[in-house]
Amino acid sequence: MKEIKKTVIEKITTHFKEVTAQQHDGNRVDFFIGKEEIPAILFFLKDEMGYNHLSHIACVDWLEEKEFEIVYIVWSYTDKIKIFVHTRVERENPVMDNVDMIWRQANTYEREMKEMYGIEFTGLEAPEEFLLEDWEGPPPMRRDFDTEAYAREKFWERPGREDARDVRETIIERTGEELPDFAKKYKR
Amino acid sequence: MINDKNSQKIVDIIQNFARQHSLWVLAYGTGCGAIELPPTMTSRYDAERLGVRGAATPRQADVLLITGYLTTKTLKRVIRVYEQMQDPKYVIGFGSCTINGGMYWDSYNTIKALDRYMPVDIYINGCMPRPEAVLSGFAKLQKLIQAGKADGAKKYKENLEWYRANQKNVIPNWRMPEYNW
Repeated sequence: MKEIKKTVIEKITTHFKEVTAQQHDGNRVDFFIGKEEIPAILFFLKDEMGYNHLSHIACVDWLEEKEFEIVYIVWSYTDKIKIFVHTRVERENPVMDNVDMIWRQANTYEREMKEMYGIEFTGLEAPEEFLLEDWEGPPPMRRDFDTEAYAREKFWERPGREDARDVRETIIERTGEELPDFAKKYKR
Repeated sequence: MINDKNSQKIVDIIQNFARQHSLWVLAYGTGCGAIELPPTMTSRYDAERLGVRGAATPRQADVLLITGYLTTKTLKRVIRVYEQMQDPKYVIGFGSCTINGGMYWDSYNTIKALDRYMPVDIYINGCMPRPEAVLSGFAKLQKLIQAGKADGAKKYKENLEWYRANQKNVIPNWRMPEYNW
């Protein structure tokens, strides 16, 4: 396993100059690369190295850094290794290359990211709506979208639940448990 | 003679008796509650001994079970299904999501009170209600039908404007057929 990971990292770093690799325990290798290189590295992984299974495309919203991180997860049936390819796009006007000519199923993930995060994929052929019908608000999975305020405004609420609150507050009250510092930042 | 008040009463009693003992439930599950229906219907709890059975299409069904949260997208389909159903028809709101939003109270895409959008005859609370609770809800509905008090469909017809206004409030692009009764 270790040797396979080593050869994979060597092969990628010789072909792509501006890439940083990171090894993890188990069967996982991470690559960090600029967004222009994404189609090239994915083509290379699929055609040259046999990573022909696209497991997932995920998106992370780094609000403080004003960036979206897009992660492509590919798998090889011969190497038995997962490769995570990370890239960053800016949060204002996010535009990304469409990769559904490499894997057709990427189309589904890209439609979801377009709807939930508002990322534009160049040349993506898809109907307007995917999961949300008649959606008029901002993309709902962005971290600056206030779900609670939107829900309170849009949907009528039965009286009697004004004290509904974060479950963590109730736990603290009952057990006297202390909240770690990083969790306080996300407190409602 | 036939239209006189007392004979109508007798007809009602017979009608309600018959309706009460054959409740056909539309096999349509929303949210997570539909998973409680197989144990309710099958041999352990055996809802069929109360006359509760599954129906394949809205036009054959009497009872619409809303088994959990409703997104605005599903609400659209549910309204269409409800309007296709033939009289007599009853709605059971199932689980706390239909009553006050439940654990989805702060979700951007789910409604929080079902009876603003559809008339509800019986609410069964719980998250999720167990099959015993479901059966007790059905028994309560049967009592209401027997007493002639399960008149949700009548309420819907009479206050259609109010319901429509609420529905259109959460469904901005209204592209639905207008049924007339």
